[in-house]
Amino acid sequence: MRRLVGLLATAALLAGCGLDSAYKLPFDVTPGSIKPVPELEGVRIKVGSKNFTEQILLGYIAQVALTAAGADVEDLTNIQGSTTVRQALEVGDVDLYWEYTGTSWITFQGETKPIPDEQAQYDAVKKADAEQFGIAWLNYSPVNDKYALATTREFADKYGLRTMSDMFALLRKDPSLGTFCMESEFISRQDGLLGAEQTYGYDVPTRDIKTFGVGAIYAALAGGRTCNFGEVFTTDGRVLTMDLAVLDDDKKTFPQYNAAVTVREDFLKKYPRLAEVLDPVSAKLNNDVILKLSVKIDGDGVDPAVVARDWMVEQGFVTKPPD
Amino acid sequence: MTATDLTATDAVFTVESGSRRAEFLRLFIQPIAVAVLVVGVLVWAFSSDLDAIELSVLNASTLLQAVWQHMLISVVVTVLVVVVAIPLGVLVTRRWARPLIPVVVGAATIGQAAPAIGVIVLYFLFTGQEGLWGAAIPLAFVSLLPVLRNTMVGIQQVDPSLVDAGRGIGMSAFTVLRRVELPLAVPLILAGLRTSLVLAVCTATLATFINGGGLGFIIDTGYKVARTSVLLTGATLSLSLALLVDWLGALAERYLGPKGLR
Repeated sequence: MRRLVGLLATAALLAGCGLDSAYKLPFDVTPGSIKPVPELEGVRIKVGSKNFTEQILLGYIAQVALTAAGADVEDLTNIQGSTTVRQALEVGDVDLYWEYTGTSWITFQGETKPIPDEQAQYDAVKKADAEQFGIAWLNYSPVNDKYALATTREFADKYGLRTMSDMFALLRKDPSLGTFCMESEFISRQDGLLGAEQTYGYDVPTRDIKTFGVGAIYAALAGGRTCNFGEVFTTDGRVLTMDLAVLDDDKKTFPQYNAAVTVREDFLKKYPRLAEVLDPVSAKLNNDVILKLSVKIDGDGVDPAVVARDWMVEQGFVTKPPD
Repeated sequence: MTATDLTATDAVFTVESGSRRAEFLRLFIQPIAVAVLVVGVLVWAFSSDLDAIELSVLNASTLLQAVWQHMLISVVVTVLVVVVAIPLGVLVTRRWARPLIPVVVGAATIGQAAPAIGVIVLYFLFTGQEGLWGAAIPLAFVSLLPVLRNTMVGIQQVDPSLVDAGRGIGMSAFTVLRRVELPLAVPLILAGLRTSLVLAVCTATLATFINGGGLGFIIDTGYKVARTSVLLTGATLSLSLALLVDWLGALAERYLGPKGLR
């Protein structure tokens, strides 16, 4: 059943894209530190991604790397919904995409308790995903798109808030300041709000929790009228553009969300040198890079594929062909 | 003899299937189907092995609250639609106001054509209004068109000779509207209302994105954390609510229309 749904969704997606027969990068790249790999020469690799900026960017970074290695890359980024991309990967409509350790652990492995350590969480996901679904995980990147609570810079300065402990200390003194804008998932998950309440020893009254869509939270927060605190993602460019103050999770309640390339085991067995191409790129990425590049995409409106390529060129992984 | 009786045999727009028996059966079967659906999905969801995430949503108080919020939003949207669309529809069919038709219908069409999620979020971004009203006002805009359109068509399809006859026997323009035009338009208005209602119940699932609550919260959670039991419960409940509202609409069409036209 799940496969069928995935298949249908992907088919609908492909049909929706119209008559364009090939989804290619809109430019050429030539090898840099990534050298052509004979094994990958001309191999058709379909690279997917979820539907938000960071994912699309990561998708293009992988595409640029694989193109430089000689593969014939097909662009399937911007698939709506995490579970849809995952299903596409499982049935082979997509060959690889970046997934987060925490997401896989809770959503696909069906666990409820995250593992606090990055490496341990990655190891556990890698093992379980291979056993349960035959999905392999390449090395994880320092990119860690975690949950965080944020407030406006103004509010943080006014009350001297730097960490989540500071925030809960303030709320103990004045609970009326504790209005939160959150997304449904964050409210329901054991490692979201509930976990934070347990770790920091404070109960947020239900009436102070407002449910919003992810995108609306940033605007609600920046507006300053709807809520004082909001759930954000640490790598979201809007943290920079809207000048939000992200509160440090000093007691480490939120789960790890390191990004790593996921690929079907049989595909990786056939082309094991995929890892050689992608792992060095993955290691060079981190939250600051993602934030900076996301702002270029969302703020300045530069094409994500171009942003990905320019970064790859800057890092020396690939080169621009002479015009 | 009233004007209504005169037209009893005239062609009247109808949304019924034509077979009275089928309609009658439907009036009985639809609520039973809804009950079976709701009980079925609840029994299925609660009897399976639920983990902590599922339990945080699939419990009586959360579900009841979501259903209640959902109904509240739908009711408020419906009231807004009735209060705005029917007078507006009547207004633009007056001879002196006819130039307004393209503007009004254009605006309502934009409302329906625009994605509801976009209308809701934009409304929030512009006004900062959240919760029940933050959801109900943009949703009313989204589900305005069927009632508006049907009110206009309902009045326009009234045979002009009936209006003339009314004026001829000394009725004022307002009396003609009240005693001739509106009664003849009621079946169509009710049909439009039924469509609007179903639209309202369906789009109310989006209220969760601006703190309006409702069954959208259950659906959104179920989808995001890939818990099929949660997703299906939310989806089935909102589907059942839509069916129920459609059924109420059918009842209204049956029993609220003018006697002579039934």
